[in-house]
Formats: sequence, structure tokens, C-alpha cells
Amino acid sequence: MHLTDDERRIQTGELGEPQRLALRVLVKLGEAYGAERLVEIRSAHLVASSYQIAGEAGIDIYTQLVEQGARVAVRTTSDPGSIDFSRWRDFKTPADYAARQLKIAELLDRMGVIPTWTCTPYTTFNVPRFGEHLGWSESSAVVFANSVIGARTNRLAAYVDLCAALVGRVPYFGLHMPERRRGEVLFELDPELSANFADHYFPGLGYLIGKLAGDRIPAILGVREASFDQLKAFGAAAAASGSVALYHMVGITPEARTLEEALGGHTPVERIPLGRQEIANVMAQMSTGQGGPVDVVGVGCPHASLDQMRRYAGLLHGKQVHPGVQLWICTNTVVEAMARTMGYVETIERAGAKLMVGTCHNDCPLGAWGFRRLVTDSGKFAYYTPTTVGTECIFASTEACIEAAITGRAERS
Amino acid sequence: MRAERLILRGRGRATGGFEGEVVLSLQPFGFWQGIDPQTGIVIDKRHDLYGTSLKGKAFVFPYGRGSTGTPGIFLEAVRNGCAPAAIVNVTSEPMIVMCALLAEAFLKISIPIVDALDVNPLEALRTGDRVRIDGAAGTIELVSGS
Repeated sequence: MHLTDDERRIQTGELGEPQRLALRVLVKLGEAYGAERLVEIRSAHLVASSYQIAGEAGIDIYTQLVEQGARVAVRTTSDPGSIDFSRWRDFKTPADYAARQLKIAELLDRMGVIPTWTCTPYTTFNVPRFGEHLGWSESSAVVFANSVIGARTNRLAAYVDLCAALVGRVPYFGLHMPERRRGEVLFELDPELSANFADHYFPGLGYLIGKLAGDRIPAILGVREASFDQLKAFGAAAAASGSVALYHMVGITPEARTLEEALGGHTPVERIPLGRQEIANVMAQMSTGQGGPVDVVGVGCPHASLDQMRRYAGLLHGKQVHPGVQLWICTNTVVEAMARTMGYVETIERAGAKLMVGTCHNDCPLGAWGFRRLVTDSGKFAYYTPTTVGTECIFASTEACIEAAITGRAERS
Repeated sequence: MRAERLILRGRGRATGGFEGEVVLSLQPFGFWQGIDPQTGIVIDKRHDLYGTSLKGKAFVFPYGRGSTGTPGIFLEAVRNGCAPAAIVNVTSEPMIVMCALLAEAFLKISIPIVDALDVNPLEALRTGDRVRIDGAAGTIELVSGS
């Protein structure tokens, strides 16, 4: 691999041991994928910020790096932690567990990481621009940055993201290369589905396309309009059920102004027609149980935006969450602060719902709750929660989720 | 019947040496949500190795299913001495290769990974076989069959 003079100085250890080790990992990764050089990145986003992912090995590694004087070289933000930093006791998090997450927070702070604790850093202090190279890992954030913004990042892994942050570079391969970003498999929505595309079809379609696309880049034709939150929900589901790191939605995402642009002028390797029946089938698969009494409802995966907070407040206004149900709305501190200023938090909390800030159901230890049935509007939660929380899962629209929290029951749709 | 002296040759994806026992599965495997890093035991109930320990073994499986959290769990298992000590794949996916690179860089422990072999390792090897693996050369030698 060709290294610049600056990179050679890092390689010889002139800039310290943390940078030397980090560069070594990135060069080996690049060599494994045929990269000829590194590319400078504008920002990094770290997934091993949660104790659940990092564990004691992470604390050892971060401690060693901090002792060696490690500092991030570019703007770097943190993914959700494993606790709500101000309310972990309300979520029955064991104190010794919280202490380990606080230790990680302290170590990341000493390396200069911005503690956003969110899977949607692009709603806080890490907002990429079109064409910028990034070193991000969180799968839902990677797919958003690549697809909706048109920035360029491969899906890095835990600790590799930190290596990228320490040297401000990643190996130049995969989605960093324009010719590797074209749509490969074309999903065509039939006109009936296209004309009647409901809000909760976005995570459903994402989940389906993730399964069908695998590691190929999907292009989607026939979605007429999509909001920021709908694209976020779609991508998160596709990244969870498959390993989609980039999609093109023709007429909607920036590298897909036309079908031809989405496919980079090539013929798709496969065309897959989709209609209402396929969407109905996948949404049935996203629920694992038969329905019945509900004990937990989870929304805000990926972390809720201000628009979503307004929507939840509207649905909960003057209502009361069923006494047997926990309704948790996951978001970050930035959105929380503005939602509080705007009065949404007061409405939400008066109804008996809780904000879960800086973490989520999938990152927190929830064993003490003994939950049996979760209802969610998130394709990503639907994919992971049966394993992470160990519950049955019912996938439903946002409205149906809030309704289930109020009535205490959910039926399979 | 297998040849007396079976040597599989492939691509070394991570360096290191290993001699010990094989655990083999025909199913893809994801370490995230797949292994208990405190014990090395497979916890994925949908997997055919559910309840089996991978600790210190040469883990032979088709390919990894990668979540971005994979190295978190993998390095925790390495730290606890409960990770597989060698990996053999039909094709290694990026995440598993990164796990070995990170273990070497940050925990100073080498876990050889070999893939793209001249013979399908899922057919040539069996659980319980004793093998010698050279991650730099990309070779697997059958020492004694199960």
C-alpha cells in the first residue's frame, strides 16, 4: 500500500504508540481488501462506546490507549451507551454495570470523543456533507450517511472505527470509490403499492430488501416521497436484516436523481418486483408472537427526531399509558433538550411514558424487568430484540404502538 | 476414507500458529449474539452448535455473519481466554479478519485465520480432528482424525 510521508511517520511511531497501532490495523485491513492507499476522513463515529459491546476488553484497550496519550485526530462522536446516564436507576440498571459504562465515558472523554451517545449523530454534532469520506461503524448511521447524505463510508467495526479516529484516515476501498457505489439489484414497486405506501411500510420494505439484497447495493424504484425519518427507518431495517450500507431510492436520494444514475449506467444484476403482498408477508415475519397483553413498547429506534417527538406527544396528549406497560421513547440529549423546550416531553411524561436517553432497549441490560412481549415500530428492534431482550416481538405502526401502550394489548396485524 | 497425511492449502488471512482440536459447523456464524464471552459457549439458540464450547478450538465454519459489534464480543472472549484459537472459513468476511487484526494489535494475541482452501474444509475436516494450522502459510495439516 502506498503511504504518504505523514503516514510513514505515524508508521514508525514518531507520533506515538496509539497512532502506530491504529495505522497498522488500517493498513492490514486495506491490504486484505486490495486498497492502494488511505484516504483522509472528516469524522468518525464509534460503536464500541457501549459497555455491552466493549466489555472489559474495551476498558483495557481504552485504558492502555489513554495512558499512551491517545487523542482523536478528527471529529469523533459516540454511539449509544449501555445506560441512560441520568436515569439508569429508573431502568433497573445494576449499579456496578452503570459504573463500568461511566468508566468508558471517562476514557472516551480523555481521548477527545464528543459524548453524543446516539445512533443518529447526524442529528447532533456530526453532520456529514455530500461526498465527504467518513470512518463510521453504527450500521444504521452508516446507511444513512451513505444513502441519504451521499457521504462515503464503509461499515467499520468496533475498535477499527477508533483506529480511524486516531489517525484520521481509512483504507480507500469499497464505498469510498465512486465506481463501487452503483445500485446492483433493482427493486421495482408495483403501481398499486407505490400509490398507497403507508408510513410503517418503510421499515417493512427495508427489512425485506435487506434480506433479499444481502451484501449487494439495492436501488429502489417506485417510492414517490419519503421523509427524513422514513428514510432513517428504512435504512436501519435494511442494515439490520441484511448488511446494506448504501441504498439508492430513485428520485429521492442524492446519487439517484434518475434510474440511470442509481445504476451507474449499468444493467442491474437482478430485478425484483415487489407488491403489497410481499410487504404484508415480511411484516408478518417481523412479529414473532401471537399478540396479547403487552409489557413494553419501544419506539425511537434509531433515536427519535424532534418531528417524531412531536408525533408521540400528539398521540399521547390527554391519554394515559396502561399501568402494566412501560412505553419507552429512545432519543439523544440534543433532541430531548429541544423537545423539552417545546413542551413535548411534558406531554409525553404526563401520559406516563418515559424517555430513554443516550441508550436503547438493545444496548441496556433489561433482565431485571422480565419482559415477555415487546411492541415496536422499528424494523431494527424487531430484528434484534427477540435475542437482546429475549421477548416476543410485535411489529406495528407508530400509531398502533402508542395505542398498544394505552390499552395494554397488541394484536398481530 | 481420508488420506493419511492431509494438508489443505489456502490463503492466510491472519498470522499465528495453532495445534489442537477442530469444532466444525456447516452453518454461518455471528459472534455478536452468538457466543458467551465469559465461557466461549455458543448461545445462539438457532445455531446447530448451541451449547458447544469454542474455547481454544480451531473453529471451522462457512463464513461469518458480521454485526459491527462483532469485535467487541470477540475481543472480550479473547481477553477471557475463551475465544476460538484459530479460524478456518470457506470465505472469511471482513469482520472476522478485523477481529484477529485487533486482537493482535491491542491484546497481543495471534489467532490464525485461513480461508479459500484448495479442498472444502467443511467436507475434509470433522469435529474432534487434531490439526496444525499455520496462519502465515495458509495451511492446515491433519495430525490425527477423529
